[in-house]
Amino acid sequence: MKQIFTAGSKLFLICAVAAVTLAGVNAITEPVIRERGEAELKQALAALSPNAGTAEAVSVSAEEVVRTYYPLKEAGQYILELIGSGYGGEMKILALFAGDGTVLDVRLMDNLETPGLGKKAELPDYMLKFKDSGGPDRPVPVRKDMLITADADAITGATITFVGIAKALEQGAEFVREVNDVQ
Amino acid sequence: MFNEFSKGLFKENPIFIVLLGLCPALAVSTQVINALGMGAGVIFVLLGSNIFVSLLKGFIPEKIRIPSYIVIIASFVTIVDLVMKAYAPSLSRNLGVFVQLIVVNCVILGRAEAFASKKTLPESILDALGMGLGFTLGLLLISLIREVFGAGTITLFAMGSFDGVVRIPWLSANPARVLGLASGALLVMGFLKALFNWLEDRKERAA
Repeated sequence: MKQIFTAGSKLFLICAVAAVTLAGVNAITEPVIRERGEAELKQALAALSPNAGTAEAVSVSAEEVVRTYYPLKEAGQYILELIGSGYGGEMKILALFAGDGTVLDVRLMDNLETPGLGKKAELPDYMLKFKDSGGPDRPVPVRKDMLITADADAITGATITFVGIAKALEQGAEFVREVNDVQ
Repeated sequence: MFNEFSKGLFKENPIFIVLLGLCPALAVSTQVINALGMGAGVIFVLLGSNIFVSLLKGFIPEKIRIPSYIVIIASFVTIVDLVMKAYAPSLSRNLGVFVQLIVVNCVILGRAEAFASKKTLPESILDALGMGLGFTLGLLLISLIREVFGAGTITLFAMGSFDGVVRIPWLSANPARVLGLASGALLVMGFLKALFNWLEDRKERAA
């Protein structure tokens, strides 16, 4: 009985010390991480469109694929914050659309994809395969056989990441068309 | 004393001889830079956990040693994760899930259980450094083979105008992609293990 009590309280003590230490580390790093996240978002928005700085964020839903959108009124374009589902869970995607749903530019933000495979989607050239799709002329390529051979080869081993991004962009394009029709 | 350090490098190399920590090793070894980042993370966590396990060896009762070790290891992993997210975001983005996987890397628990819980502090520190470096070297070898033949590149840190990617002329146009995939990791590991076994066998016969 006494033995169990000693062991239990010692384990509790170890856990308590660990928890306090981690709380301390978290208190120091949390504001830095949040600031960095905001700066990254701002930078990505500016890279997508020079007018993005003045655009106002409109929240859509915390559960749907389209989380937030930024209407760029002068250019008639939209920046969408999309959540795709990849191999390692949720992927945050920022995409610039024309009013008719055409994908103009895409950035992959926070994600937990596999380094060397799905992570390659962060490279600048990766998103070129989606450019100019989603409009009336060409649907978003959501399957490997809708790509040219070189692009299809490049996503080998990371098909789930590709499909996750493609499906999110497809829904984004649809969303843009609806919003654009209303206005 | 120096033997505690050097044994991890070759004679008891955690990857090729003891065959510990294979899951994270095979998963991250797609690119050289990942191997370096993962190696650095493992060295840090191993050092921290070996130090604390060795210091607390009189305090932790036998019955609760495994949960205690896991708490210590998990705390160090979380610290590495948070600090990297705050101050080295690009490395954190690249290693992503694998940092958290260090918790279940059996090299670390293995050293805590088999070594640090029985030995003195200086010995445990040397053991951690040796095993950590041995793990990194093993990872480096696997990732070098997989990246060179599987993608025809060597990815290092980007510095200035150098984007961090060394392209190997003929191979980058004709890579054996299977080596970059999961099955390639197992193939490379199998062949390397066979090679090391053969070398050891030969040495024994000669002796």
